[in-house]
Amino acid sequence: MTQPAHLTRRFFLQTSAAGVATAAAGVPAFAATSVNFQLSWLHSVQFGGSYIAAKKGYWTEQGLDVSLSQGGPNAPVEPPVVSGTALVGISAADYTAAAVSQGAPFKIIAVAMQKNPFAIASLAANPVNTPADLVGKRIGMAVANTPVLQALCTLNNVDINDIEIVPTQYDPAPLVSGQVDCLLCWETDLPVAMTVKGVDNTTMLMADHGYALHSQTYIATEESIANQRADLVALIKGEVMGWNDYLNDTDAAAALTVEMFPDAGLDLQTQKLQAARQVPLMFSDLTAENGFGWFTDDTVSKNIETLALLDHDVSAGLWDRSILEEVHG
Amino acid sequence: MTVLRLLLWLCVVLVLWEGALRLVPGSLLVSSPLAIAGYVSNNAALLARAALETSVNAAQGFVWGNLAAIGLGTIMIVFPRSARTLSAVCLLVFCVPLIASGPILRVLFGPGTGPQIALAALAVYYTTLLTLLVGLRAVSQTWTDLMRVYGRGPMSTLIRARARASLPYLFVGLQISAPAALLGAMIGEFTGAERGLGVLTLRAMRGLDTNATWALALIAALIAMIAYGSIGWLGQRVVAYRPVILLSAPAVSVRQRPWKYLLEIGFTTAFVLILWQVSMDALDLNRFFAKRPGDVWAFLAEAQNRNTVLSALAETLSFAVPGYLAGLALGAALAALVVLSPALNRATMPVAVALRAVPIITTAPLLVLAFGRGLVGTMVVVAVMIFFPTFVACQQGLRQTPGQVVDLFRSYDAGRWHLLRAAQIPAMLPAFFASARMAVPAALLAITTVEWLATGKGIGVLMATTASTSNYNMLWSCVVILAVVAVVVYAAVAAVEHRVLRIYANEQV
Repeated sequence: MTQPAHLTRRFFLQTSAAGVATAAAGVPAFAATSVNFQLSWLHSVQFGGSYIAAKKGYWTEQGLDVSLSQGGPNAPVEPPVVSGTALVGISAADYTAAAVSQGAPFKIIAVAMQKNPFAIASLAANPVNTPADLVGKRIGMAVANTPVLQALCTLNNVDINDIEIVPTQYDPAPLVSGQVDCLLCWETDLPVAMTVKGVDNTTMLMADHGYALHSQTYIATEESIANQRADLVALIKGEVMGWNDYLNDTDAAAALTVEMFPDAGLDLQTQKLQAARQVPLMFSDLTAENGFGWFTDDTVSKNIETLALLDHDVSAGLWDRSILEEVHG
Repeated sequence: MTVLRLLLWLCVVLVLWEGALRLVPGSLLVSSPLAIAGYVSNNAALLARAALETSVNAAQGFVWGNLAAIGLGTIMIVFPRSARTLSAVCLLVFCVPLIASGPILRVLFGPGTGPQIALAALAVYYTTLLTLLVGLRAVSQTWTDLMRVYGRGPMSTLIRARARASLPYLFVGLQISAPAALLGAMIGEFTGAERGLGVLTLRAMRGLDTNATWALALIAALIAMIAYGSIGWLGQRVVAYRPVILLSAPAVSVRQRPWKYLLEIGFTTAFVLILWQVSMDALDLNRFFAKRPGDVWAFLAEAQNRNTVLSALAETLSFAVPGYLAGLALGAALAALVVLSPALNRATMPVAVALRAVPIITTAPLLVLAFGRGLVGTMVVVAVMIFFPTFVACQQGLRQTPGQVVDLFRSYDAGRWHLLRAAQIPAMLPAFFASARMAVPAALLAITTVEWLATGKGIGVLMATTASTSNYNMLWSCVVILAVVAVVVYAAVAAVEHRVLRIYANEQV
């Protein structure tokens, strides 16, 4: 794993300079602005970099007081962001595209998961290793995700009618109990849970088979990009610093997550495994070169192609790199 | 003695449970009692904090929701003209599913316990209101006539006659609402709460932590049973008298003219629409996710959208109706059975309370696993959801059989069956119909949940996809359609009720 060293060094210099200045003045340089940061799901190491940023004061030293609001099955990200109760939300390119088509003025300002985490999980005894293996299998998934499967099939010349879709809740039980042969799920949650429970399983990452779709994207409204630019830059800067630390020591990130949320019922071993598993999704040559969260015209155009398969007609205008450019500039 | 016997039975069940799992090893879906106990002792502090958090929120919601129910019930009795409009509004608010209300509550309350308390209150106010209304009307006409003869107004009648008569019913309402409040607080946590039993349940289900799932379900059930039991005990202390005989001359039924009836429907609809628009505007809720009547109208005006929603609705109803009928039949039949054989009461009640206190998203997957993803599995989930309130209400109704009537049957040496058929079932009817109405929104909630979790068909799926599509127009259109269905079915049940009760319990009409 290559480390974006120049970034860390620059940040170290910047932040220590700010710290010295603050300490010298003896008072905080300016009153902290309070903002909400809406996460997309329950607290877990999935957001480990953000916890590091909070814990190490990467935001406070920039004058930002960030509250992390966790998500949940009935806590969609878009409403608080569109209402302005959250400055930034964690979404995914397809969700954002859909919300924009419904009139939400969102832009994607940074991308945490360069590779989409959607995967096909199966038991090692009856594995799905390539899209062609899906033929004749029963797949457990939320019916809402049918377009995702359809896109994978189209990309790999598989007829979706040859796959039996079984609507299931989002847990590994149907696979383990033999109700289905495979599951459409995230690379980083259900497979990890099965591994921890000693269920021998294998996954096929959809991103490795043409499914190019940014996930865990940071979204903000056009209004805040125009009017709260400094806050957005500070928030993303803290994120970048937090995630760089994360990359250095995923076990520490897992431990911090468990420590920060004692009421969440998190299991340290699971968190460590998950933390390590999401590294290849979030860090790549692209981020090594340009910094965490980065995206290029090229990755954007690949996303637009995948989004077209998902029936989302979007332009490159959905992405706005100006905040990232300021952060990494 | 009874406690000892109960403990003995409990031990037998636990040993059988453990033994059965030993015989079928490797089950990752069902935990053994020992494994559950192990999980509880290893995570005692975590579970205690979560249970406390959820209970405190549930208790606050319980208080607010029941106060609202009592307030609304009082208004509806004192101003009978407002009754129909108000009950329609209450029913509609009760019908708004969590997927639509969750984001609104979270945006309104921000982080913290607000949404959990609000959802607990919303989960209880309607059932208590309906049960309380039956009670407030359960006074003999002789009494109300007497009050009228003395020139007393409805307020005075309420305080002197109706309030006391309603107490047994109020306690039933409170009792039913205790598990519901807990459930409301738990599902309220799905809107992004930081801690509580609901949060842990979600985590456990995703993590395939079967021991945790079962431990959490059992803890929730236990808390519900304790709350249920203590309210029941309190009720017996407070309401130590047998209700008075309810036999009286048939009430003079005022037949409403059709145009007046239509006028009333029109007025109620307009009132609801204005309330919807004005409340959302007043709270300054963003139109992106808080759709107004006009948005829904525009969306449903397009034939394609309308067809999508209506065909999904047809699918949903084809599963919901059998489940609804089965749940009602089961609840009433079990109540009758328990009256015939009181020993059964002790055995069935804990199961019934437990089933009610565990969130449907925990039970549904297990039920689906056991009964399949077809008609039977769906029916069972719906039936389980509505069976419990029906059972409790019917049992209470059966107990309301006037003592003199029972004595009369006894003096003629009539058998249990005869007594049940000729006296107790007629006495049960008001409560049965109240729960049949109450079950309408509950059945719709259950069916939409199970569609989302298991069958992948119908209107529940249309609503669930909102999370990824942000198609809040579709969501709110589904909410409106479901609400209309609920009101129509409710009105149909009420019409049947009216005809039946005119014969058997005319004070209610």
